[in-house]
Amino acid sequence: MDIELSAEDLAFRDEVRGFFRDNAYKPGADYNQWRLDWFAKAREKGGWDVPKWPTEFGGPGWTPTQHYIWEQETAVANLPWDLPFGIGMLAPVLMAYGNAEQQERFLPDIRARKVNWCQGYSEPGAGSDLASLKTKAVLSDDGSHYTVNGTKIWTTMAHIADWIFCLTRTDDSGKKQEGITFLLFPMKQEGIEVKPIITLGGAHSVNTVFITDVKVPVENRIGEEGKGWTYAKGLLQHERTGLAGISRSIIALEKLKEQARTVKRGNATLLDDPGFRAKVAELEVDLMAAEYTELRSLASASAGAAPGPESSILKLKGTEIQQRIQKLTVEAGGIYSAAWGGKPVGPSFARGGMAGYLASRAYTIYGGASEVQKDVIAKNVLGIKSSK
Amino acid sequence: MNFELSDEQKLLQDSVARFVQDNYDLEKRTKLVATKQGFSDDHWKTMAELGWLSLPFAEAQGGFGGNQIDTMVVMEQLGKGLVLEPFFASVVLGAAVLKRAADDAQLSTLAPGVIDGSSQLTLAYAEEQARFDLHDVVTTARRDGDGFVLNGQKSMVANAATATHLIVSARTSGGQIDEQGISLFLVEAGADGLSVDSFPTVDGLRASEVRLENVRVGADALIGELDRGFPVLNAAANDAILALAAEAVGCMEVLYKDTVAYTQEREQFDHPLSDFQVLQHRMVEMFMEYEQCRSLLYRATLEAAQGDTAEAQRAVHALKHMVGKTGIFIGENAVQLHGGMGMTEELRIGHYFKRLLVIDAQFGNADYHLQKFAA
Repeated sequence: MDIELSAEDLAFRDEVRGFFRDNAYKPGADYNQWRLDWFAKAREKGGWDVPKWPTEFGGPGWTPTQHYIWEQETAVANLPWDLPFGIGMLAPVLMAYGNAEQQERFLPDIRARKVNWCQGYSEPGAGSDLASLKTKAVLSDDGSHYTVNGTKIWTTMAHIADWIFCLTRTDDSGKKQEGITFLLFPMKQEGIEVKPIITLGGAHSVNTVFITDVKVPVENRIGEEGKGWTYAKGLLQHERTGLAGISRSIIALEKLKEQARTVKRGNATLLDDPGFRAKVAELEVDLMAAEYTELRSLASASAGAAPGPESSILKLKGTEIQQRIQKLTVEAGGIYSAAWGGKPVGPSFARGGMAGYLASRAYTIYGGASEVQKDVIAKNVLGIKSSK
Repeated sequence: MNFELSDEQKLLQDSVARFVQDNYDLEKRTKLVATKQGFSDDHWKTMAELGWLSLPFAEAQGGFGGNQIDTMVVMEQLGKGLVLEPFFASVVLGAAVLKRAADDAQLSTLAPGVIDGSSQLTLAYAEEQARFDLHDVVTTARRDGDGFVLNGQKSMVANAATATHLIVSARTSGGQIDEQGISLFLVEAGADGLSVDSFPTVDGLRASEVRLENVRVGADALIGELDRGFPVLNAAANDAILALAAEAVGCMEVLYKDTVAYTQEREQFDHPLSDFQVLQHRMVEMFMEYEQCRSLLYRATLEAAQGDTAEAQRAVHALKHMVGKTGIFIGENAVQLHGGMGMTEELRIGHYFKRLLVIDAQFGNADYHLQKFAA
C-alpha cells in the first residue's frame, strides 16, 4: 500500500494547475469566445478537452491517478461551463455501439462543443423503473424511417438542446427490457414541443418534451433495433459514477467552514458552536473515508480489475454528503436563508444557500433513486436473492 | 385527562378549515403569492368578520378572550392551507406583546383596529449580529425630552410592508447582550426616519429589513416598563413558537398523508410504490415523528396556557427543537418519495416543505433550542 504521488504525477499536477492559471477567464472578455478557445487549447494539450475519451478517439490516455488529479484540480478551478450529455454520455455509446459513419458524423461536433445534446430517457410513467418506457417508434413499411410519438420528462436542458438521444419502444411483446431502440434526432423541428418544469429552487433546467409524429431516418438508430436497453445501461453507469463529487464536496465543506466563521455567535462564531461544529466534523470524517473509497475504486480500475464493491457506494455516499453540506449552509444562514428575491440581506452566502439546498434534494432522485440503487447493491454486490 | 377540544374550539376549527378549503388550493395560493402584497385583502376582511383577529384579546376589549390553545387550533388549520394573510404577525406576535405589557390606554387605542383588521401589527426583534438571541440588541432608544429617539436596524420582520404598527425592541440601558435594559416601543408605519425594505421569502410570505434613523416617538409609545421588555419579548417569542409549531404540525399532516396517497397510485416495477417495504417503513417513520410533534405541541401549549413558567419554557424549547428537526425530515422524505414530481412547483408537497424549512429558522432553529433545553 502506497498513496504517495510519484514525481511524474506531481509534475502532471503542476502542469494542470499551470494550464488552468494561464487560461483563466479574464473579467470583461467575451465569455463564449473564451469558452471555445479554452477547449481548443485543452485539445492541443493532447485531449484535455475530452479527458475520459479513449486514446483512439483523441482522449489523453491518462492513468487513473491522473484522472483523480484532474478531478481534484477542476473542483477548485473556474472552468468553462459544459454539458455532460454529449461528451460524457452519448459519446461513449457512439464509440461502443455506433457505426463508423455515425461516429464521424456526430463525435467532432460533440467534441468542439458545437452541438448541445439532451437525454430522452425518463417518462411520466417511467422514472427509476426506466425500462417501462412507452414512447413509441414505428418503422415505416419501406424500412427507411421511424415515426416517434410519446412524452419524455425531466429532460435537462432540452430547451437549449440541438439534438436528443432518445430511448423508444419498438416492440412491447416481450420482456420490457427488450424492444427498446436508441434513436438520435434534432430538437428544432416540427412535432417537438418543450415545456419548462420549474423546480423547487425556482430554476428552469428540466423540461417535459412532447414528441408527435417525428420522423427519424434509420441511419440515426444506434446499433440494432430492440437492443437499446443494453446500450443505455452502460451509459447509466457513466452517469452514476460521475455523480459522487467527492473532491467538490471537500472544497464545499472548507467553504462552509469559512462562511460559518463569519457568523457571529455571542463572542465566538458559528463554527465554535458545539452543535454546528459536531455536524461539520461528522461530514469531515465521512469525506475522509469517501475520498479513500474513491481512491480504492480508482486503484482497482488502474490495475485493470472490474470496479470493486466499494465503487457501488460512491454515488449514494457522495450525494448524501453533498446534501448534508447544502443543509448546513442553510443552517449557517439562519433566518436569512429564508430571504428570496429583493436586495441581499444578512450574511453574503445566505442568498444562494436555500436554492442550492432545494436543488440538492434531486441528487438522491435522478440517475436512479437511492432506494433503487440500494436494491441494485443488495442484488448485485451482496448477492441477496429476492422473490419480488 | 382530556385532549378533546371544547365545543367552541371545534366551531373555530371547523370555521378555519372551511375557509382553507374554500380559498386555498395550490393554484389560488400561487396567484396570491405572485401579487405585490402577497395576500388577499378580501381574505383578511373575512378573517376579521369571522372574529379570528379578536382571538387573543380580552372580552373587555371586544376580543374572544382566547389563550394559546385557541391560537393553536387556528394556526394548525392555517398551516394545512399554507395561508398567506398576516394572522401570525398581527394576531400572534403583536397581540402577545400588547396582552402582556400594554396599558389600558394603549390597548383601547390599538385593539379595535387589530380586531376589525384595519390595523396590522408586527414585531421587529431580530438583528443580524444576534443570530437567534432575543437579548442581543444594539438598536438604541435614547431619551429625548418626554419621548425617545430610536436608531438601528431590524431584520426579517414579518409582514412589515403592510403593518400599520411595528413593535420594536431597543436598548435603553446595559450592554449588547444584557437582558436588562431592553424596552419595547410602538412605531407607526410611515414615521419619519423609518424605512421598510420588503421582499418575499422562500415560502411565499413577505418579510422586511427595517431601518430606524432618528425615529422619534412619544412617551406613550413605550409598551410596558422601561428596561424590562425582555421577559415580555421572550414570552411573546414563546407564543410565536407555539403558533408556528401548530402551523408546522398542520403542514406535516398534509405531507405525510399526500405521500401515503401518492405511493399507492404511482406504479414502478409493476407495483404501486407502496408495495415496497423500505418505503412503507419510511412513511411509518414520518407518521410516528408527526404524532410525536403533535404530542409535544399539546404538552407545551397546555403548560404555556398555565402561565409563563420555567416548565413551560423548557417544553417550548423541546417543541421547537423537535418541530424543526421533524419538519425537515418529513419534508425531505415527502419529496424523495414523490421522486421527480416532488421536486416541482406543480405539486403542493414542495410548498409545504419550504414553509417547514422557514419555520425551523424562525425564532431559533432545532440546534439552538436543543442547546437551550440542555442548558
